[in-house]
Amino acid sequence: MTNMTPLVTFKDVKKSFGAFKAVKELNLEIGRGEFVAIMGPSGCGKTTTLRMLAGLEAPSSGTITIDGQEMNDVPVHDRDTPLVWQSLALFPFLNVTENVEFGLKMRGVAPDERRTRALQWLDRMGLKGFENRRIDELSGGQRQRVALARSLVTEPQMLLLDEPLSALDAHLVIRMQGVLTKLQKELGITFVYVTHSQSEAFAMADRVVIMGQGEIAQIGKPQEIFRAPQNRFVAEFVGRNNILEGVVHGDIITIDGSDFALPGAPDGPVEIVVAADRMQIHATAPTDAAIAAEFVSEEFAGTGIICYFEGEGGEELKAQVTESQLATLQPEPGKMFWLSWAPDAAHVIAG
Amino acid sequence: MAKKTSLYEYAWRLPLILWQGLFFVGPLLLMVAMSFWLVRNYRMEPDFVFNNWDRMLSRDYFWNAYFVTFWRATLAAILASVLAFPASFALAFRASDTVRRWAVFFLIVPFFTSYLVRIYAWQVLLAESGPLNAIIGFLGLGPFTMLNSGFGAMVGYMTLVLPLVVILQTFSLAAIDKSLIEAARNLGANPRETLLRVIVPAAKVGLIIGFVFAFILSFGDFVSPFYLGGSNPPTLSILIVDTTKSGQQWPRAAVVAVMMIATLFVVAFAAVAAAYRKRS
Amino acid sequence: MRIGSAISWVYVAALFAFVFAPIVTSMVFSFNSDRFPTVPLGEFTTHWYETAFSRPEVWTAFRNSLIVAASAAVFSTALGFATAYTDFRYGFRFKNAYLALALLPPTIPLVILGLAMLAWLARLGLSGTLPGIIIAHTVMGAPFAMAICRLRLQQMDSALEAAAWNLGASPWRAMRTVVIPFCAPAIISAYCLTAAVSFDEFIVAWFVSGLNKTVPVMILEILQGNVDPQINAIGTVVFLTSMTLVILAQLLILRKTSS
Repeated sequence: MTNMTPLVTFKDVKKSFGAFKAVKELNLEIGRGEFVAIMGPSGCGKTTTLRMLAGLEAPSSGTITIDGQEMNDVPVHDRDTPLVWQSLALFPFLNVTENVEFGLKMRGVAPDERRTRALQWLDRMGLKGFENRRIDELSGGQRQRVALARSLVTEPQMLLLDEPLSALDAHLVIRMQGVLTKLQKELGITFVYVTHSQSEAFAMADRVVIMGQGEIAQIGKPQEIFRAPQNRFVAEFVGRNNILEGVVHGDIITIDGSDFALPGAPDGPVEIVVAADRMQIHATAPTDAAIAAEFVSEEFAGTGIICYFEGEGGEELKAQVTESQLATLQPEPGKMFWLSWAPDAAHVIAG
Repeated sequence: MAKKTSLYEYAWRLPLILWQGLFFVGPLLLMVAMSFWLVRNYRMEPDFVFNNWDRMLSRDYFWNAYFVTFWRATLAAILASVLAFPASFALAFRASDTVRRWAVFFLIVPFFTSYLVRIYAWQVLLAESGPLNAIIGFLGLGPFTMLNSGFGAMVGYMTLVLPLVVILQTFSLAAIDKSLIEAARNLGANPRETLLRVIVPAAKVGLIIGFVFAFILSFGDFVSPFYLGGSNPPTLSILIVDTTKSGQQWPRAAVVAVMMIATLFVVAFAAVAAAYRKRS
Repeated sequence: MRIGSAISWVYVAALFAFVFAPIVTSMVFSFNSDRFPTVPLGEFTTHWYETAFSRPEVWTAFRNSLIVAASAAVFSTALGFATAYTDFRYGFRFKNAYLALALLPPTIPLVILGLAMLAWLARLGLSGTLPGIIIAHTVMGAPFAMAICRLRLQQMDSALEAAAWNLGASPWRAMRTVVIPFCAPAIISAYCLTAAVSFDEFIVAWFVSGLNKTVPVMILEILQGNVDPQINAIGTVVFLTSMTLVILAQLLILRKTSS
């Protein structure tokens, strides 16, 4: 997407805390100007990875390279890897401008110049008029922007973000996502964004790294990960997926006794993924193959309604419908339905 | 990281070790060693003899002082715990947060005022011709002899320990989960049962810590037994002061001091064990 | 319950009356003309203040006390802060022993500490000197300073210091620009409180002071003589001095925790 040489390279990086292996054998390249989100459940090693990049943790083995320079022995304060903290970590005893100036002051920039640059950034972040406020006089969104200004004022080539939006109200999150993507495009610098929230990661990132139990489970564009999870962990973690077990014979997969088309899969037992929003619900048995399932319950999600079913083999199935579809179906617990999907909606995952 | 910061880390860790090693552990160890030294012609000589121990531990006046001190400290700790409890209870359960904060502040104040001046004030107040006896006199009673007695000493101990015990008890009572008490009441416990079976067990650690601090402070106090108790009978701290100040019998004073520290250790450990003992 | 509540408040009031009776008494009688105080009170007088403060040794004692308190508070606070920071930031082997070393001094009876200090300082040639008293009071004050600073550090987001490193501050610089400013109120209040502790301490000072008496040691020695209302006068000044320090400290702590 930009320069061929990556900005950041993790090579065989491991990190353990005592007996606990936080990160096992991490190999990852991050390009220049790329917006990368590292996502996973808590304890998956995503924050440790970020902290190693900032130099707050030292790798137990392996090397991290930034811009061609091996970073293992470079102390935190000699790195150019500003971090936006989950708690923001704004200095409560300094006012807004003093907070933003901090990094410049540490780098020995003259008072006049650092003031000018701080004020420019505050202006850019829409904080004009708040220059002399105390931190505790700001709203959550304003603090967020002060934290961003403080990290960016030194014009780094990379910004690290550790779940920066997790403390904000839902409506502010969406707005801040816009602010962040716009900023990243304008500045053209690398953003490494750690989060447990799929919506944040998928909405902003060029590339998403899914981590689980200290390992990378999948790397790819949001759409790829969403539509084509490579393994069960990703399929379960991302989106609302149905994971179905079946046996492939020719271009046919047999699930619960029904035969579905599945072109191009190797013969033998496999698992396939069908996203909930690509499941079709039928009130009567269709002529084509379908899985019979008993309705269990429904749940209102932001984008529609998720209906939960139990298949004859006891497996949990889910399908997303609109409100009007729900009204037509009139589901009640215990009522039987038939579920099917278009052949191109199914995707085989490695067992 | 770890390698780079070790100098920084040690710069913060070592001062205490050096200072307290040199000026706290050092003096105490010297004192223990000194209890085995010999005094010859009014001069101390480093040695390893048990003369001082033999001499002190075989004398009745030492053991009398020991038991008086132990008994008075025990009494003071019980009295302080009992006297403090109703007040702590009120502050913990009946006071608003603001009132409680101010109350605690006012209880901290005396801790930083001259204990000595306060004891002198009691000397004035409790004197035979003093204000208290004058007031009692209006009622046609007295005058009572309150100074130079066990009573006088006890007033002094209470002055020293009561504020601290109230603070410790108040904190531990206020920390009790209120729903515990409501649950007990809801299950039909009357106020007395609730107090004995729920509140006191729940605040046990704080109550015991208050007791232990009262004991430690009273056990080691010199001023109250001396100025209000009239050194009659002498306590261990008075024994130490007399032995140190009159002549060069520091080694014998050291024996008394070691005995006191040993006693405090035993009491403190017993109390901690009691505080954290699981109910069987 | 209403009556029970009323009784319990009367009880609380009585307890506070007991605690404050000696403090108030000493202040009242410092202005009372009778040499042997009783009720009804004599006339109002400042005689005892005049007598007390016309004696040069009282002024010397105050000077000594101030020097000792001001210096011991510096050392106590520095030690206490370093210890609190170590406890906050680092885990290491024998940390429990380290913390015991930090917090044990207040549990040792003062007469024992006095004796031990006397013997030790005599060996170092420091007994009877002001530095000797300063050393002793530093040992006694450090645990209080440590407790106050530790409570403040507890309120600090640990990411704050890391944020300073992340923005280019070396550990020492982060200490100077972030940790110390954050802890400033606690540091000042620790200074005031340890100064107050030193200003009032007399047992250990009495053992090690020799001819360089501090105010409380002088009071102690007057007290061994006779009833003398000058003690009330001196005591009231001492009381007001320590109270000023304590209230200052308290205000700083309260203002900090509220923000």
